[in-house]
Amino acid sequence: MANSLQTSSSTTTARLSLRSPSSDSGLDSGLRSVSFPLKSLKFLTRQVVIKQQNKSRRRTELVVKAMEVDISLSPRVNSVKPSKTVAITDQATALVQAGVPVIRLAAGEPDFDTPAPIAEAGKNAIREGYTRYTPNAGTVEIRQAICNKLKEENGISYTPDQILVSNGAKQSIVQAVMAVCSPGDEVIIPAPFWVSYPEMARLADAKPVILPTHISENFLLDPKVLESKLTEKSRLLILCSPSNPTGSVYPKRLLEEIAQVVAKHPRLLVLSDEIYEHIIYAPATHTSFASLPGMWERTLTVNGFSKAFAMTGWRLGYLAGPKHFVSACGKIQSQFTSGASSIAQKAGVAALGLGYAGGEAVSIMVKAFRERRDFLVKSFGELEGVKISEPKGAFYLFIDFSSYYGTEAEGFGKIENSESLCRYLLDEGQVALVPGDAFGDDSCIRISYAASLTTLQAAVERIKKALILLRRAVPV
Amino acid sequence: MANSLRICSSSSTTTARLNLRAPSSLALSDSPGSDSGLGSISFPLKSLKFSTRQVLKPPHRTTKLVVKATEVDISLSPKVNSIKPSKTVAIADQATALVQAGVPVIRLATGEPDFDTPAPIVEAGKNAICEGYTRYTPNAGTLEIRQAICHKLKEENGILYTPDQILVSNGAKQSCVQAVMAVCSPGDEVIIPAPFYVSYPEMARMADAKPVILPTKISENFLLDPKALESKLTENSRLLILCSPCNPTGSVYPKRLLEEISQIVAKHPRLLVLTDEIYEHIIYAPATHTSFASLPGMWERTLTVNGFSKTFAMTGWRLGYLAGPKHFVSACGKIQSQFTSGASSISQKAGVAALGLGYAGGEAVSIMVKAFRERRDFLVKSFGELEGVKISEPEGAFYLFIDFSSYYGTEVEGFGKIENSESLCRYLLDKGCTSPGRCIRG
Repeated sequence: MANSLQTSSSTTTARLSLRSPSSDSGLDSGLRSVSFPLKSLKFLTRQVVIKQQNKSRRRTELVVKAMEVDISLSPRVNSVKPSKTVAITDQATALVQAGVPVIRLAAGEPDFDTPAPIAEAGKNAIREGYTRYTPNAGTVEIRQAICNKLKEENGISYTPDQILVSNGAKQSIVQAVMAVCSPGDEVIIPAPFWVSYPEMARLADAKPVILPTHISENFLLDPKVLESKLTEKSRLLILCSPSNPTGSVYPKRLLEEIAQVVAKHPRLLVLSDEIYEHIIYAPATHTSFASLPGMWERTLTVNGFSKAFAMTGWRLGYLAGPKHFVSACGKIQSQFTSGASSIAQKAGVAALGLGYAGGEAVSIMVKAFRERRDFLVKSFGELEGVKISEPKGAFYLFIDFSSYYGTEAEGFGKIENSESLCRYLLDEGQVALVPGDAFGDDSCIRISYAASLTTLQAAVERIKKALILLRRAVPV
Repeated sequence: MANSLRICSSSSTTTARLNLRAPSSLALSDSPGSDSGLGSISFPLKSLKFSTRQVLKPPHRTTKLVVKATEVDISLSPKVNSIKPSKTVAIADQATALVQAGVPVIRLATGEPDFDTPAPIVEAGKNAICEGYTRYTPNAGTLEIRQAICHKLKEENGILYTPDQILVSNGAKQSCVQAVMAVCSPGDEVIIPAPFYVSYPEMARMADAKPVILPTKISENFLLDPKALESKLTENSRLLILCSPCNPTGSVYPKRLLEEISQIVAKHPRLLVLTDEIYEHIIYAPATHTSFASLPGMWERTLTVNGFSKTFAMTGWRLGYLAGPKHFVSACGKIQSQFTSGASSISQKAGVAALGLGYAGGEAVSIMVKAFRERRDFLVKSFGELEGVKISEPEGAFYLFIDFSSYYGTEVEGFGKIENSESLCRYLLDKGCTSPGRCIRG
C-alpha cells in the first residue's frame, strides 16, 4: 500500500499514512499513521548517509513537518453565541436558493419595498456623488431630523450632539451596552427577549439576568418581579416595546410603575428599544420610556428605520440619550465602523420627512400587518391546545405550542421542544419558523407575519396538516 | 437674596448648585428661630425632584421644600475609558464643521479619494434600489459578492479562498477590529509597526490585548526591520499587523522583505498576521503589491483585509471584507452577527459591479491612480524644495508623511510655540498658511 495523505474538510485534520520501506530496519513495520490538526504541512527532503557494514549509501528521506499554528480564539468570542434568527434565516434562504419551496416566516423584516420617496432620495444621493465619509455620529441633517421626530412623536427633547447614527439599531444597542456595563455588571432582560440581548451583555463581559414573564400576562414584565431581582450589580434594564418576539406593547401605566422601581436604584439605567414603535395596532399606543418623569437622564433610547420604513437592507439606526453616554458610544463606533452609509443617511432624512409616524406610506403597511395579524390569531385560535397572546405591535406571533411536546411523528421522531417542533415543521411542512428557546421561552414558537396574506394562508394550511399528523401519532 | 438654582456643565461634568435662603419660618436648622442664612448644596447631576411637605408644629403649619437629587451613576465601562477616539475621524469632523461654518479650510486630512464613485458602480447601486434589493442579506454577505471576492483574490493576489472563508462588513475597519477581537485573548500582544493607522492600537485595547509598537525609520522608508520584529517577539505575541501600501506613510513592502518577515513569523506558532491591503490598487510602478497570505506557509495564519472604499472611491458606501481560514472567519462572523449583521444590500450589489470592472479595477481605477501619482510627484517635488524637511517618497496610497521636526522649537507671533506635530498642525489650520517657511520666524 502506498503512502497516502488524507485531509478532511469538516475538521482541519490531516492523516498521513506511511508505509515504512523495508530497507529501514529490515522488519516490516507496517503502516504507521500520524494525525495532526492543521493543514499546514511542510515537505522537505533530507539526504541521509547510511553506513551498513562496510558500505555507505545515500538515501533521500521525505520529512513532513506539521507546522503548528495556534488557532485558538479569544474567550470573549467563545462565550458569545451566534444569532439564531440570523442563522435560521440564512439557512432557509439557502434552501430556497437550492430549489426547496420553503415558506419563510422566520425573518424579522417587512416584506414591503422601501417606500418610493425614500428610494428616490437614496438614488439622488448616489447620483449627486453623495458617497463620501460622513461625520462619525451621522450628518447634522439627519441628527436634526431625528431630534425633531423624537420631540414631535415621542415628547422627548434631544440636541444633535445627543444622537449617534449607526449601521442599524443592533449596533446602537450593543455599543450602548458596551459603554455602560463594566465586567460583572448585571443586565436585566425580560424573557421572551430578542436573541441578541444576552449575547450583547456577554460581549461587554456583563452577566445577563433573565426575568421570565407569562403568556397569561401578555409577556409583560411584572414590576414586583423586577424589584425582587435587582442587586447592587444591576446596571442596565433592557425593555423592548413593541416587543420582538411577542408583539406585546407596554402600557404607559406599567412603564410608570417600572420607572418608580428604577428610580430607587442609582446604578440602574434603562435601554429602551423602540424599533417597532410605528408597527402598532390601535387602541395600543407607544410610550417612550425617556419621556417618563425622572427617566430622561438614565434612558438610552434606541430606534431606527429598518422596520417602520422597510429599510432593513439600508442599515440605519440610532441612539438618543444624555451626551455623556452617547459620546462614549461614539468613541467605540469611531474605532469599529465610523459613520454609517452616506446614501442611507440621505434616505433616512427623506423617511423622517414622510410625516407624522411615517405618514401614509407607513400606515398602509401597518394596515396590512394588522389584517395578517387578525387572520393568524383567528386561524391558530382554532387549533386545539394552542395558547396565544394577541400581539398589539410588531409583526410577530409568539404562540405556545407546548401541548404538542411529547408527541411523535412517523419518519421524523419525537417532538420534545420548540427546536424539534420547528425542525419538524420545516421538514414536513416546509415552513421556516423560529424556536422560542432562541428567545428564552421554549414553550413557544415565533411566526413572522411579514408575508402576504396568500403566503400566510398557505403556511397555516401546511402547519395545520403537519400538526394533525402529530396528534395521530400520540398513542391511545 | 432669593433662592437660586444654577446648572454648570462642562464637557466632563454636569453640576448643579442650589443656593437656599432659609426664610425664618422654615425649620431648616436645629435651633428654631435662628437665621440659618444661605445654605448651598452642590450635586453632580441634573436629576432633581422637588416636593413640598407640610409640617405641623402647633400652633404653626409650615411648608418645607424638599429637594431630592436623585443620583444616577453615569460611570462608563473600563473598556470604553481605555480606548481613545479616532484622531483622524475627529480632525476630519472638526474641519468639516469649520467648512460648514463658512471657514474656507483646505482639507487635506481625510483618508478618502476626492473622486466620485465610478459610473458602472453607481448604476449598480441605483439599480439595486430600483429593483427593491433592500432587504437583509446573509450575515457574511451575499453569495454573489463572496464569490466575486474569491475570484478577485485568486486572479489579482494569487490566494485561494472559498466563499465560506469570506466575511463582508460595513467597511474594512470593522473587518480589522473583528479579526483582532476574535483571535486576541486578554494579555496577548499585538505587534504594530509605527507609523500606524490610528485605530490599530485602539482595536487591540478593545480586545483587552496590549499594543506593542515597533518604530521604523524614514531613512528606511518606514519599513519594518525583520530583526527588530524578531527581537520584540515573546510568547504573548499573538498578532502582527501589516499595512501595505501603508497609511500614513505610503510605503510599500517589497516581496523580499515580506518573505524575510514570514520566515520569522513561521518560527512562532502563536503569531498570526493581519494584513491590511485596503490601498492595494493605489500603487505607483515600479512598486508592486504582494499579499502576505500568498507567501509559502503563511496562508494558515494570515487574515487578509481589503475593501472597496479607497480603490473604488466608495468610502460612503461602507463595504469591506476579511478573507482567511474558515475557523477565524466564522468567529468574526459570530461577532458580526451580534454587532451589525450583514452589510448594506445596496452596497453589496455595487461591490459586485466594482469587482467586475476588470483587473485591478480596470480603466476607472487606473485613471484615479494616474491622477494620484501626478499629485504625489508635485508634492514630493514641492516639499523637497523646503529646507529642513525629510521625505520618504511614497510608493502607494495617497498620503505624504513628511518629517517637519526641524521646525519644532520655533515660535510664531500671535500663535505661540511650535513644539510638536500637533501644535504645528494647529498652527497650519489656524493661520491657513500652506507654506510654513514663509510664516514661521524661528
